[in-house]
Amino acid sequence: MLDRSTIPTVNKIEKIDLINPNQFEIAKFTKLFFMKEVPNETSRLELYFDAGTIVEEPALSSVLSGLLLSGTLKKSSIQINAEIDALGGFVDTGVTNEFAIVTIECLRENLLPILQIVQDAINNLAFIEKEVTELINNRKQKLRVNLEKVNFLAQRAFQERIFNNSSYSKITKESDFDSISIERLKLFFESNYLKGLIKVVLIGNFNQDQVDRVIDLTGAWSRNNSRIFEKEIKNLKGNTHIAKEGALQSAFRIGRILFNKTHEDYCDFMILNTVLGDYFGSRLMANIREDKGYTYGIRSMVGELSQTGYFLIAAEVGKEVKEATFIEIEKEFKKLQDELMDADELEMVKNYMLGQLLKSADGAYALTDLYLGVESYGLDLDFYNKLIESINSVTPERIKNLARQYLIWDDMTIVSVG
Amino acid sequence: MIEFEKFKLENGLTVIFHKDPTTPLAIVNTLYDVGSRDESEDKTGFAHLFEHLMFGGSINISDFDAPLQMAGGESNAFTSNDITNYYNILPAVNLETALWLESDRMLSLAFTQKSLDVQKNVVIEEFKQRYLNQPYGEVWLKLSPLAYKVHPYKWPTIGKEIKHIEEATLADVKAFFYKYYIPSNAILCIAGNFELDFIKNVVNKYYGDIPSGIKPARILPAEPQQNEYREMTIDRNVPADAFYYAFKMPERRNEGYYMADLLSDLLGRDKSSRLYIALKKELQLCSEIGAYISGSHDEGLLVISGKLNSGISFEQLNDSLWKVLNDIQHQEITPEEMQRLKIKFKTTKEFQDEGILNRAMSLCHFELLGDANGINEENLIYEAITSQHLKEMATKILKPTNCSLLKVKAEQNA
Repeated sequence: MLDRSTIPTVNKIEKIDLINPNQFEIAKFTKLFFMKEVPNETSRLELYFDAGTIVEEPALSSVLSGLLLSGTLKKSSIQINAEIDALGGFVDTGVTNEFAIVTIECLRENLLPILQIVQDAINNLAFIEKEVTELINNRKQKLRVNLEKVNFLAQRAFQERIFNNSSYSKITKESDFDSISIERLKLFFESNYLKGLIKVVLIGNFNQDQVDRVIDLTGAWSRNNSRIFEKEIKNLKGNTHIAKEGALQSAFRIGRILFNKTHEDYCDFMILNTVLGDYFGSRLMANIREDKGYTYGIRSMVGELSQTGYFLIAAEVGKEVKEATFIEIEKEFKKLQDELMDADELEMVKNYMLGQLLKSADGAYALTDLYLGVESYGLDLDFYNKLIESINSVTPERIKNLARQYLIWDDMTIVSVG
Repeated sequence: MIEFEKFKLENGLTVIFHKDPTTPLAIVNTLYDVGSRDESEDKTGFAHLFEHLMFGGSINISDFDAPLQMAGGESNAFTSNDITNYYNILPAVNLETALWLESDRMLSLAFTQKSLDVQKNVVIEEFKQRYLNQPYGEVWLKLSPLAYKVHPYKWPTIGKEIKHIEEATLADVKAFFYKYYIPSNAILCIAGNFELDFIKNVVNKYYGDIPSGIKPARILPAEPQQNEYREMTIDRNVPADAFYYAFKMPERRNEGYYMADLLSDLLGRDKSSRLYIALKKELQLCSEIGAYISGSHDEGLLVISGKLNSGISFEQLNDSLWKVLNDIQHQEITPEEMQRLKIKFKTTKEFQDEGILNRAMSLCHFELLGDANGINEENLIYEAITSQHLKEMATKILKPTNCSLLKVKAEQNA
């Protein structure tokens, strides 16, 4: 009979194999990253343009991204989409704060034909008035729907305050859509797409000729300078509540400006962040969900920008327990500042993080994302060796000191809606 | 081709092993053949609440997640109308930790009052977060009972109402566990870089001594054939009018299921689909429109949903929508259109099967449907569907007497 009270021995993860994608210089400020090691027929191509929401008004950047396949003088949007669908392609266009990204996913054999269609659609984008009007109306309706969600409202109000008065703090209002003209769209398109390509990411089992063909098709869009992103951003401290009539739950965000991967404390802070709120067994989940039952989920995270970063806690909780939740979060900050972590808990976090890293390095797609996650900050894969080293060597004292330095309740931007 | 081996333990547990030599990870996926359709009408939402309790400690192990995290792993689960599925992802070198945890909670739970009380609250917050406190979040709470009058699909997995979750007792939890959480009602899939002999040994070691039990028979009330058009309007404080047309479609094991699936793609999967082009692009009646199937095991639903542009009435949309549905029944579907649907399906499947967790979950699901090898046969089934099949399916299901329409009317437009 099996003795079920004995825990199976845990084996340490000794090493994690990482692979660099191949790099090609398309132009002085534009690179292509190519990961070939895909054992099946899937493929993905991503085009990063210098056209995110910090560059122009968010409404305009987002509308322009939605218009990329809206038709040329020779082809309607319906034709373009039908041609892509006939090749089994999934083409997605979207914006983040720093980039506009066009993603193609399809079977390997169809990538080049699909890219050709997308390239022609973008090169010859005609800004057909009917399409522009339709998209703007759709976006307005979508915004009105989102404005009914406490989570969206909290994120928006938080964005305004944590990135206070910077290019990152801009939010979209319905009236912003009314000031979008075809002239403004064209101007932004010509400068930031047709001369705005930052990088190309290609994943799939392609040969060199095919890689060259991708470069041929996209190279003309290369940008001729690089953007300098904002560095000095300070969050607006303090607590703000926005009332939302009829809401059953309150959504909240608690956070502060912090740093990104280039900072010396980043790796150790990631361990503190995991302890606090970045896994199922975290302090916040254990207290707010698994002990009190106040929420379906609560988490903390570190978000990164090109030149800086931020820390954030997010959740939706029962309206009547919002204040009680805040008190508990503040207590968790205090506990981390005042008490040394239990060795078992720290070991669990270390092992969990190594397991997560192993998962992030599983397969060509994950490996490429892992690489892009350091390349954006001017780092290379050696960063992950440093992270592993941090995980293996961090002490309870170090965690406590970091909590004292960075998890100060009065430094936080706090926003709630409900 | 996805390779796998299959064996059965004496206690009735079905085990699938999928070898993947390229990954340093292991997946342990367990599917239990129980979902919200197995609940009684006065205790809905229970299968899902129970799923939460599976993480509240088992007979010999007080905490499920801590040892798994200690081994570098993570875990989660989901419940549907038909099944409950639990998965663990962890470094392959620590496979045994996951088997130790999963087998102990198949053996028996800790059944603590504290866990039940807390998880009731968590699930109630989930109910609010995902259904009650979202614009259009109540749709399935209304559409399910409109489309089904008898079959337990008439309530959604989260449950009919919060009250049912509040009323769950520890006695209910125990009875549910002893009835459904037995080896013969489960399918286990292990995926990773292992050898079959090793897998057989460790599975026997951890699961071999779990008592067998009798697989519960499923006798559900059959939904009588729908012979009437149903319509319901709810007024809500939402910014735009929304519509949900639900048509009954064949059950999962019927070949008609695949035809209805492809028919939904023809209608509204992509930007080249019939409804998208006609109603959004040409007539500009709606801001969004799509079609999809519920994917359920018993008689399911093909749903067409979307939102109206401002100034457009439900009647305008309705007339044009039915015209598109009738055209499919009477006009040719071109070979190009058929080809487009099939390559889209093939591509989607290739991406789905790319991830090892998806493969493990699919293998369990296909095994439940009759044979894990279904994962390798799907492409052929879809490949064999003709335009004539789609027309016949359209004629059979896309008619008013097989339709339930839910309209969500924006209050400010009322």
